[in-house]
Amino acid sequence: MIVALAGVLVVVAAAIAALRPRKPLARLHFLTVVTSLGAPLVGLGVIIANGWSLTTAGVALITVLLVATGPVLSAASGRLIERLDE
Amino acid sequence: MNGWLLGVTVLLIGGLAPALWLACTGGIARRLVGLELAGAITVLAMVLVAQGFSQPVYLIVPAVLVLLSFAGTLVYTRLLGVREEEP
Repeated sequence: MIVALAGVLVVVAAAIAALRPRKPLARLHFLTVVTSLGAPLVGLGVIIANGWSLTTAGVALITVLLVATGPVLSAASGRLIERLDE
Repeated sequence: MNGWLLGVTVLLIGGLAPALWLACTGGIARRLVGLELAGAITVLAMVLVAQGFSQPVYLIVPAVLVLLSFAGTLVYTRLLGVREEEP
């Protein structure tokens, strides 16, 4: 549970920090922290608590999907934001 | 309330609230980032809800949400880009 709560704290810190930057591109960095660090920590904490089971497979699938789709969304958003700034 | 549900509470108050604030105020880019942030945080909160209530069946909600959030945000980036290109 400690690992999952550490992930929760990372996510909360990133969400609050995302309020500060003025430029939208700078905000995207904090979104990356959520999907690349916070989500794996939360998923890992739940997986450790459950052991080997079907629940673990489900949580692992969700975590992998979140981690895999995060950079794609960040790249798409970054390209759009750059175009909007021009 | 167990530790998992405490994590959900912290996540919703400290994480989802700032994300919704970003998604509801400011320009297009700021709202888009807020939407993505809110989607990711909601998925994690739903995972913790399933764990907190010991109901693995609830995991279907974040599993669907992560896919819908991905597709939905890509549609937003596409449509906002098209709108920007219009004369």
